[in-house]
Amino acid sequence: MSWVVVAALAAGVALQRVVGMFLGGRLMTRYPSTARLASLIPTAVVAAVVAQLTLTDGTSLDADARQVGMAAAGVLVWRRAPFIVVIVTAAAVTAGLRAL
Amino acid sequence: MTSDRFSSPPLGVLFGIAATFFALGITVNVVVLERIESEARTFVAAVVVNAATTELAYLAVRDAGGGLLAALIAGWVVASRFGLLAASLGARITVGRTHRLAIALQSFDPNVGLAVQHDTQRDVIRTFWRVTAAMHAGWWSGTIVGIVFGNVIGDASAWGLDAVFPAAMLAIIGNLLRDRAGLVAAVIGATVCVGLLGVAPAGVPIILSVGGAVVALGIPTGTKK
Repeated sequence: MSWVVVAALAAGVALQRVVGMFLGGRLMTRYPSTARLASLIPTAVVAAVVAQLTLTDGTSLDADARQVGMAAAGVLVWRRAPFIVVIVTAAAVTAGLRAL
Repeated sequence: MTSDRFSSPPLGVLFGIAATFFALGITVNVVVLERIESEARTFVAAVVVNAATTELAYLAVRDAGGGLLAALIAGWVVASRFGLLAASLGARITVGRTHRLAIALQSFDPNVGLAVQHDTQRDVIRTFWRVTAAMHAGWWSGTIVGIVFGNVIGDASAWGLDAVFPAAMLAIIGNLLRDRAGLVAAVIGATVCVGLLGVAPAGVPIILSVGGAVVALGIPTGTKK
């Protein structure tokens, strides 16, 4: 990863954020019916990220201790456990299973 | 929409987010440093690219023998979700251009995910910046630890650190999943994403997960019992 690549990656990521904010945000503001969509998009996108990081190795389905850790985290989220308890439990369960 | 639990992110939540990004900073930068073998470039990339998944996607394509352009495109595409998140937040706020630009450049999953759970612009912006501060405190310190002590830490997954980020993301949207429409958006978004992995180019499954939000528009809002 050369300095040029670092600059190119940074520019591409920043550009998408700016376009999203100024163009996407303006479009959604202009059409009020899209306001609800705007509030649902983060849920769908973040859930997709969670699923990808939990169930796959990035390219295909993958069975791993991480899924047990995430199942424990899911139960704790459902039971409204404190945030820090959720992430510490997920890491501890995952690491514990890998250590076996 | 709710503002009861996260009307102002409690310190415990902010600490948890900082801890998550500390772990993420270590995990990602140990990997990046191992690949590019330059502490300076690893640090600058962590700061200016400002998107860990972009760095990892670029390196993954290069590792697999992909060309420079293919790797750059993969890095850009996996970051497209930040554009979507910025758009969803942009629709909720009316602030000056400079402030809007600053918010755009710092749009990530946790700060947008928590901010949009509020009704008033004041709460949205306050939550956004507080979570952003917690994220950066964790990310910067984790980046430094990962670069300086990377050799000592070794395989971060042995510590279960790869489970920290998805667990934190799940906790962040946990409140939204109690709403029927939110649950439908999440389940469909996740299913679309996982179903398209290996079929669609890197990053595209995440973009298409927005379909979950579109489908959920037809679901009446209501808290699950």
